[in-house]
Amino acid sequence: MTRLRLGLELDGASRGRQVHEIVQGLARLPSMRGALIVAPDGFVIAAAAPAGVAVEPLAALAATLGRDLEVGASRLGRGAFQTAMFSADDGTMFLAATTIGFVVAMAEPQANLQTVRGGLADAVTMIEAAWVGTAAAGG
Amino acid sequence: MSALRWIRWPGRPQRPQTVPELFALADRLRRDGRTADAARLVAAGLEREPNNLTGHLLAAYLHLAGRTIEPARREFRWVLARDPQHPRALLGLARLALEENDLDACRDSLTRALGLYPDFPEAQALLGAIAVPRPSPAPPPPSPRLDRLRLPSLARALVVLGADGGVIAGRPADVKGDGDRIARAISLATAALQRAGLGAPRRAFVEDREETFFLRCDTEITIALALPRTTHITQGLLEVNRLWAAARHELTVRPEPGRVEDGGVVDRPRRTS
Repeated sequence: MTRLRLGLELDGASRGRQVHEIVQGLARLPSMRGALIVAPDGFVIAAAAPAGVAVEPLAALAATLGRDLEVGASRLGRGAFQTAMFSADDGTMFLAATTIGFVVAMAEPQANLQTVRGGLADAVTMIEAAWVGTAAAGG
Repeated sequence: MSALRWIRWPGRPQRPQTVPELFALADRLRRDGRTADAARLVAAGLEREPNNLTGHLLAAYLHLAGRTIEPARREFRWVLARDPQHPRALLGLARLALEENDLDACRDSLTRALGLYPDFPEAQALLGAIAVPRPSPAPPPPSPRLDRLRLPSLARALVVLGADGGVIAGRPADVKGDGDRIARAISLATAALQRAGLGAPRRAFVEDREETFFLRCDTEITIALALPRTTHITQGLLEVNRLWAAARHELTVRPEPGRVEDGGVVDRPRRTS
């Protein structure tokens, strides 16, 4: 049997709720369409997706993109991947790396870049505080 | 089971007793992002039933969630050795192959999964994202004269990709690693944006700890500019926009053949449009 050695130390069901609240908070920012948190394996941890968007395929792609950026950054020796933004004709997608996976945010074309970046940074900070902080304190 | 004493599972009055119950709870914890708790349950379940396929599949997922790739690969292969057509294990191996830039292996695994389960949405999405780029019926665009482009003084690299994702120009010369990485990221981002109903990508930035890539793209070319991480986002986007416009201009200019200077054919430009 393979020994599972994971860096995360989680306990408390409240963190499950907390991650849902983080996603909801991000999705409520002005001009936001939705947000989700996906695990590196593509699994949806929490989602507030816009109507009509199939979450599972989007999560699979977002996690693959996030892992690709992580692996690419590390392979080219430039440290860890942190954040990405992809602006398109009808809106913008943001992606940020966290300990538990990737935060994905979808915004309207007129969304304020700094507001969304600030909201994303807050979400990452809250996730890291909830998970890593508890692990450092001994679980 | 002593390791599980402290784990709370809301809504369940009883602790899980059977191995399937353990794995069901582990899957629920995984869905809540409680990866370490899930891992403990899976380890406990596999101690009792070492050949349980569900347990090994969950173990693979949890290794992936912890970004430990080799153990994840071993677990997916363990599952496939017992169920060669397991769609989730095939998808997992496909994602690992993609991380390692082995597109053929990725495509093979996804095709096998979709052969049995044509409506597998994640596999469909990934296969669409890595589809082989079709060569344009038009001749490839000429390489822009990058020496004419004025780069910001702190720029580390400039990469120009054609419609098929291949590097058509770069500065410095050895940017193929960057080019491959950018092409795949754009391909995956394009698929994700389409899935989100946001349309085709136009601008992007990707921040590492040390630098930021700024990108501008359309259906013909993609320009990527690497600047220090301290660069203001708006400034970086303006710079790459300027370079994109200049490169587009250069693409409308072709070298005039036949002029020889310094022993070589001179790229003497003339407008063709």
